[in-house]
Amino acid sequence: MMRALLAYLERHGAVPTLVRSAISFVVVIALWQLIATQFVTSSMLLAPPSEVLKALVNEIQGGMLWKNTIATSISLAVAFPISVVLGVFIGLALCSNRLVSMMFGPMLTALSSIPIIALAPLFVAWLGLGYASKFVLIGMVAVFPVIVTTESALRSADADLIEASRAFNASGWQVFRTVTFPYAVSFIIGGVRVAWARALVGVVVAEFFGSFAGYGYAIMAAGQTFDTATLLAYVFILGVLGLVGSLLLEYAEKRLAPWRYV
Amino acid sequence: MSGVALEIEGVTKVFGSRKSKPVVALEGIDLQVAEGEFVAIVGASGSGKSTLLRIVSGLMEPTSGSATVHGKRVTRPGTDRAMVFQRDCLLPWKSIIDNVAYGLTLARVPAEKARSTAQRYIDVAGLGGFEHHYPHQLSGGMRQRANVARAMAVDPKLLMLDEPFAALDSQTREIMQAELLRIWGATRKTVVMITHQIDEAVFLADRIVVFSARPGKVKRSIPVPFPRPRALSIKRSAEFGAIVDEVWQLIEEEVRASLNH
Repeated sequence: MMRALLAYLERHGAVPTLVRSAISFVVVIALWQLIATQFVTSSMLLAPPSEVLKALVNEIQGGMLWKNTIATSISLAVAFPISVVLGVFIGLALCSNRLVSMMFGPMLTALSSIPIIALAPLFVAWLGLGYASKFVLIGMVAVFPVIVTTESALRSADADLIEASRAFNASGWQVFRTVTFPYAVSFIIGGVRVAWARALVGVVVAEFFGSFAGYGYAIMAAGQTFDTATLLAYVFILGVLGLVGSLLLEYAEKRLAPWRYV
Repeated sequence: MSGVALEIEGVTKVFGSRKSKPVVALEGIDLQVAEGEFVAIVGASGSGKSTLLRIVSGLMEPTSGSATVHGKRVTRPGTDRAMVFQRDCLLPWKSIIDNVAYGLTLARVPAEKARSTAQRYIDVAGLGGFEHHYPHQLSGGMRQRANVARAMAVDPKLLMLDEPFAALDSQTREIMQAELLRIWGATRKTVVMITHQIDEAVFLADRIVVFSARPGKVKRSIPVPFPRPRALSIKRSAEFGAIVDEVWQLIEEEVRASLNH
């Protein structure tokens, strides 16, 4: 009986994967509950999951969750797609022209290695407490992984495939359209995954420094009133957001490049 | 069997940069291939065989000399020629039928016509039923057949094969040789093929051209007298063995000479 169950859990497929994830989720929640109720008794330091759930329900009933979700969603929905498109275009520009690449490449490397998050207070000072500062900060942190992966993916396209294409009399544009770009797409999506994780950090930090709504604002406010349960409730939502985005993009990656996963 | 399909005149190719010593890959190659003829080029590695095919395909320019295909001097790639590389080079994100139609699509043949032409060559290559599979779902032998079908589909006047079966295991290779002969028999294209397998060259070709080691030159041209269609069983005949021996001795001299160099 036990052995049959274990064998089932080791199988591939959607349902066993779901069961495995559910088990690990339950185990972590149970451990958390145990630690928070038996060892760390101050709920200001660590609230047990039951308290977090209560806080979450409270936020939903009070309408705060809805308000914060709208604010954070608008920031992400505007800034994230723009930074992905912009990142792909900059990556393309860097690849298409040697001079452009040599002139701006080092600059971009330098920019991408500074922690842009640290500039959040400055963006708020420049652009105010509205959405503009959020858009810019999310854009700045999310655009670089897309640029870097786009450029390297386009450069690493299989030289043999390109030569075969050229032997069929393909023009430069045809080689790009039928070989270089399709080859790069799945790698670019890998970069978009990284960008998504960074965008979530970006939006939270931007909302820390200047806003009246959003998950970052709610976390900050809860922290200042030592409302650990509410704080963790929002962190939990952010975690779900990150996970869902990552899984969707991973799925897209596998759908677009099945030959890389055999 | 009338005109000259390919005329190579005094082709020399020197590789080199300012930093390193120039390397002469090919020196004064003269070669004529008649229309409908199947020529195999053999020679030690580094004798510039692949370079010659790249020049004829228009992917590379000769340092001097010229290649002329059906009276037209080669300056760039063109659909009158098609190349089959050692690696199958199919596009992994396209289905087999779209891969076989690839050259036609690039030439802006209408989609409907490109598909029906591709389908015909898929059938000739024995890949019927696999049209909507992707390359990674096929065996190495099937992929290489699709690769040959893709080259044939553009209806080139000259088909070039650069060690097309080198990456296959020996059993698959034997079958592929017979398959290639069958496909070739149905179309009678002019073929220039590079191979390292001497028995492959003797089995397939009307004529074998032996290249000397670097710099590559034409060392000898040996006609293969077997009538067509040829069966795999001729490989065990004494006459076949004699030609293989002759070619092998020519190549051996070259390999030894280049080792002592």
